[in-house]
Amino acid sequence: MDSKILWLSALLLATTASAQDQRTGTLKAMTGDVRLGQGDSRHVAQEGGGLQQTDRIVTGPDASVTFTLKDGTIISVGPNSTLELTKVKFDTTTQEGNLMLSLLQGTIRVVTGWLSKLHPEQVKVITPTSVVGVRGTDFIVEVP
Amino acid sequence: MNRCLKLIAGLTTVGMLWACAPASRVILLPEGSGKPTAVEVKTATASQVLSSAYQTASVDADGGVALSITEPQVVQARYGRLLAQKPPAEEQFLLYFEPGGAQLTAQSTALMPVILTRARDRKSGEIIVMGHTDRVGSLEANDALSLQRAKTIRELFVAQGFKPDLVEAVGRGERAPLVPTEDEVAEPQNRRAEILVR
Repeated sequence: MDSKILWLSALLLATTASAQDQRTGTLKAMTGDVRLGQGDSRHVAQEGGGLQQTDRIVTGPDASVTFTLKDGTIISVGPNSTLELTKVKFDTTTQEGNLMLSLLQGTIRVVTGWLSKLHPEQVKVITPTSVVGVRGTDFIVEVP
Repeated sequence: MNRCLKLIAGLTTVGMLWACAPASRVILLPEGSGKPTAVEVKTATASQVLSSAYQTASVDADGGVALSITEPQVVQARYGRLLAQKPPAEEQFLLYFEPGGAQLTAQSTALMPVILTRARDRKSGEIIVMGHTDRVGSLEANDALSLQRAKTIRELFVAQGFKPDLVEAVGRGERAPLVPTEDEVAEPQNRRAEILVR
């Protein structure tokens, strides 16, 4: 009995640990219709929910969402936007990694975190026509 | 393009700036602390650097990048809602350990409920527990020890009912000392956990 409980709790711990390893960001405040998913699948996003690499965030008219990444980057997404977390890697111990966001449509505001302080060359925002390289902290990108 | 020109004909200067929508637009915002800030906008054919607040790059469909300067009121009018979404600045707390283990000092233990309240006051508030060590021992051993300390504190928050998904344990080892020392020097101020509430 005891060993069974131990085994179960070990399994539970293992699952929460791996879910945390996969989590690259956390959804904060949101309004309106915000959907999240990989490839063609979408589900309704929830406050406090996690984000993973290659997730796409899609906001409807009048919708908005703000999320944080592990390195402290804060991203706000405006209405009618599609943003893909193309590459989001951050090693919390060494503070190394890379971040590539693809804004397909709409508006984002980016306040960068540790990664851009230590390795600015590893942080990029891609739009269909341009690449925004980050050397500073706070900016807006819009694809009307 | 025709539609664009017609629009411009009847508009004010501010309107003109936005009437002819570019393929993409980048606006550099002021850096809160007044530090220098910049972004670089690159296309297949051009590259421009924005280095002062409210400088704007407008990228056309052919990859041309035009620089201009906008004004705070214009940005506020167009992006006010987006700007208002930013959560309050993150808060930092320091916790110290009794020597030789993962037991918090009495003073640090008393801080725990304060940290919980601050995190719960936020919308989907997160707690990041970053463990640190001094420079006694190897880099790898200290990475492990600092993570162990961070995990111990994480469990305390979880035991108080804080959502496990929203509290993360991070081990920074001896990489970020509060007091810089030579290797192998014991320094109590470096044996700490830094708590970020965001």
